[in-house]
Amino acid sequence: MSHTKHKTIRMIKDKIFLIVVGTLTLLAILPLFHIILSIFEKGLPIVMERGLTFITGTLSEGGIGPAIVGTLMLTIMATLIGLPLAFLAGAYAYEFPDSFIGRGTKMLLQIMLEFPTILVGTFIMGLLVIPMGSFSALAGALSLALILTPYVAVYTEEAMAEVPRIYKEGGYALGCTRAQVIFKVITKMAKKGILTGILIGMAKVAGETAPLLFTAGGLYEVYPTDPLQPIGAIPLLIYTLVQSPSPQDHQMAWGAALIMLLIFLSIFVPIRYALKDDIKL
Amino acid sequence: MTKVKMETKNLNLWYGEKQALFDINLPIYEKKITALIGPSGCGKSTFLRCLNRLNDLIANVRIEGEVLLDGKNIYDKDVDVYELRKRVGMVFQKPNPFAMSIYDNVAFGPRIHGIKDKKELDKIVEWALKKAALWDEVKDELHKNALSLSGGQQQRLCIARAIAVKPEVLLMDEPTSALDPISTLKIEELMVELAKDYTIVVVTHNMQQASRVSDYTAFFLMGKLIEFGETEQIFLNPQKKETDDYISGRFG
Repeated sequence: MSHTKHKTIRMIKDKIFLIVVGTLTLLAILPLFHIILSIFEKGLPIVMERGLTFITGTLSEGGIGPAIVGTLMLTIMATLIGLPLAFLAGAYAYEFPDSFIGRGTKMLLQIMLEFPTILVGTFIMGLLVIPMGSFSALAGALSLALILTPYVAVYTEEAMAEVPRIYKEGGYALGCTRAQVIFKVITKMAKKGILTGILIGMAKVAGETAPLLFTAGGLYEVYPTDPLQPIGAIPLLIYTLVQSPSPQDHQMAWGAALIMLLIFLSIFVPIRYALKDDIKL
Repeated sequence: MTKVKMETKNLNLWYGEKQALFDINLPIYEKKITALIGPSGCGKSTFLRCLNRLNDLIANVRIEGEVLLDGKNIYDKDVDVYELRKRVGMVFQKPNPFAMSIYDNVAFGPRIHGIKDKKELDKIVEWALKKAALWDEVKDELHKNALSLSGGQQQRLCIARAIAVKPEVLLMDEPTSALDPISTLKIEELMVELAKDYTIVVVTHNMQQASRVSDYTAFFLMGKLIEFGETEQIFLNPQKKETDDYISGRFG
């Protein structure tokens, strides 16, 4: 009799637990869905209304074309600058985990991950914008590169550290030098993790606003061509538009947000899928 | 009279404070198979890894004594360790093909040692895969990922990869412990075949394997070399009681 009673109480407790966990999870992810939904709800009408002009036109034509190209250019330039440095830093931290510099590198990278990005912007402003006398794509890309670097480096180090020791020894046993083991054996085996790091780093910088505020300058009436001239970016444009009092500008901002979201989803969803299906080691 | 290819003289090894090898004096004869047997943790793998200086990679390892290759101490300061490992190849306990094609795996060693010519590489790859008795199974899919091969095939690929750099000595660390009996048999036949051209040192837990394939056997116990001799003598007429206990299964 009391046995069945205990059982019922246990089952009720179990149900309550499930409900609580489920509700909390829902609460946690609800804002995310709300954001995505609002972006679609408020951004879609203006994008539909303007059609192709919205994607290719300049700001006065009612489009965000220069900002889209600006974001792509900044992301690519930042990756080209940051990637080699980040990869080498990650490889260094992997190869010398117990040395003073190796440990220091790893700690510094971890700190850089959490570093306030606006400070990176001010730093580059002092370093580049003021001496050059003008905002520029180069300055913007450089501050983004500083933000991308720790992501790629930390992911590189962790992916390399996950490669089983036996492959490293296999390389050495064939007469590889230290550099050959790292670049020809370990890098190949850690490819997946390194690529993930690069993608996350790129996604991160493509959505950044703060580091561009004092460096990129903004450019929305013509397409960017010169890396030494100011450049625009979608998040920077959204920031500018939102500050304007005009409701039309707010609408533009929602449209730009939608385009940014779509660019992200169309690039990262397929790539993450492809990475998942890679061979298990 | 068989020539001594490698020889250790009073070899001692410490992991930090703990001594793992004690005064090992062991000759390794040219173009013969020498089996290292003994219970787990007796130091036979550690000893094997002294022969190509793979222990250099482990922090806190200290080595005293000499390891001679053709009379020259490989721990001398002027020895190029990368060149040494080219001369003394190794096959590991678990197959460890790299995540690349079968062809690239075998060509990996020759490439890092400077061979770029495509025709020459083709020739080496075919030769090595034939030597490793894998050619017939993979010749039509050389550009397939090596990780898609079975465990036994992967291990033969690793042997092909090791001999592609034309080593003089081949070290094998329990090369069949992760394989099924049929794959094991293939590798054993291969070892006997390879011993015509190479000096082979094999660590094994499998008594039958040692008695089937090896010419000489060394029995290790707790970091010490207890007995060394021709395999037949060790198995049929061991001189030491510990050896007798171990090979007859009365040990521990």
